[in-house]
Amino acid sequence: MLKAALIAMLVMLLCYAGSYLTGNSYIDRPIVIGAVAGLFLGNLKLGLTIGATLEAVFMGALNVGGVISSEPAIATVLAVTFAVTTNISQKAAVTLTIPIGVLAAFVLLALKNGVMIIFAPILDKLAATNNQKGLIFIHFLSWFIYYGIYAVMTFIGVYAGSSAISSLVKFIPQNLMAGLNTAGGLLPAVGFATLMKILWDNKLAVFYLLGFVLTIYLNLPAVAIACIGIAIVVVMAFRDKDILDLKKKKSAVATKVNNGLDQKQQEEEDFFA
Amino acid sequence: MKITENLSKEEKKMLNSMSLRSFAMHADRMGPAKFHASGFTFCMLPAINRFYKTTKDKEAALIRHVQWYNCTPHAENLILGIVASMEKEKSLRGDDFDDQSITAVKTSLMGPLSGIGDTFFQGILRVIAASIGIGLSMQGSIMGPILFLLIYNIPAVFLSFYLTYVGYSLGSTFIQRVYESGGMQILTKAASTLGLLMMGCMTAMNVKFKTTIALSIGKGKPIALQGYLDQLFKGLVPLLITVGCFYLLRKRVNINWVMLGIFILSIVLGLIGVV
Repeated sequence: MLKAALIAMLVMLLCYAGSYLTGNSYIDRPIVIGAVAGLFLGNLKLGLTIGATLEAVFMGALNVGGVISSEPAIATVLAVTFAVTTNISQKAAVTLTIPIGVLAAFVLLALKNGVMIIFAPILDKLAATNNQKGLIFIHFLSWFIYYGIYAVMTFIGVYAGSSAISSLVKFIPQNLMAGLNTAGGLLPAVGFATLMKILWDNKLAVFYLLGFVLTIYLNLPAVAIACIGIAIVVVMAFRDKDILDLKKKKSAVATKVNNGLDQKQQEEEDFFA
Repeated sequence: MKITENLSKEEKKMLNSMSLRSFAMHADRMGPAKFHASGFTFCMLPAINRFYKTTKDKEAALIRHVQWYNCTPHAENLILGIVASMEKEKSLRGDDFDDQSITAVKTSLMGPLSGIGDTFFQGILRVIAASIGIGLSMQGSIMGPILFLLIYNIPAVFLSFYLTYVGYSLGSTFIQRVYESGGMQILTKAASTLGLLMMGCMTAMNVKFKTTIALSIGKGKPIALQGYLDQLFKGLVPLLITVGCFYLLRKRVNINWVMLGIFILSIVLGLIGVV
């Protein structure tokens, strides 16, 4: 089992972590990860079919934003490993890995919304001192730590087996999980607040509310809101441009006045401008 | 469209370097308050180092970019290109050029580009690639995963390079024209307006809160508090939390305390059974 566990860990590192170095190339999707795990474990055909089955199952499961419900990648690796190394059926292997997917999602949640936030202030500090090497270093360090832990989890998952894992899933208090989920839901607020600090203008603040209301009440997608925004902004910009042009003309007229034009002519100029 | 004709050799080198770096843009995991801030900055480094000569200017640019950032891979290369062209303009004009407009343009593009990008890459391209791949894999052919990767990645990689060039070329000529007509102030105001509108949209989409508290009065069905909150104003808690964070940050409260506060608050709410 040790060899299989090491192989599973390697596949996770290679595919799941590797996907984020290769431009989100989707080498972490079940269809690919299953084939790679099968290849390394010596049963490519089994890996291909399990991968394809799970790809179909998780076709719609994309981790949007910070919310994770289950992890297809770890489920695939474990399903293939169990199916190859033990004599349980392919179907049973797929079913068994579901609690592991949930457990993995929990650990990821705790990592993503808890542990990893310690990097945020370090990043700010590095930027403020133009420490570019440091910035690149923690960019990849956070990647290494996150996916390193994930790969170790895969190792433990295979080594300890699924019965131990499903009892562990029952052990995690539900309300702690809910709290972590809530933290993941609320923490982006800090990021938006920092951006708002830069963009804020008391006269424009109402547009923030408009964007919020359009999304939450009308469920408009971001593209639609951007289009509405562009329409408003274009109208505003043309009006501002007219004002700018008027001001320019006025100052041009003012110079003319200095050159001998009387008040009445200036008003006429303004009117026809 | 001939997008490379007006670019110098060094500029092409810089854009290629940025496009290559964008492959690792989403590698970082620094929590929901930063998302891919370090990744974006990592991709911007070639431009920052090329355009800014003094350490002070470089620091300012880095601070500008290590803010919350998230967008669909590949599609976001358009932002990289446009922002690079704005940094160039900023480096040429100095204090004349309002750096708020860089953040505003970046912010207002994330949402819409993600919308288009997610639909195209995840919704269309990935589903086509997967449907072909699954069929072949089921028959036990290794071509399944290989075709899946090729169908998805060839257009994706091509687009990521192309969009960096498009963003940079369009960005620089456009910005130069606007500047010369004296409309930079108008552009900054417009970008800020659009930026704030999209911030509101992103707050509504990304900041989530739901309470499971229910008051049981008498024998009737328990009354869910969330229902009342939604009747009062939908998304009230996320909005208040975001505005609250904004207020605290404006009062110069350290960002770490704000994050820690939200984290502890969430855990406590979880433990006492509010969420």
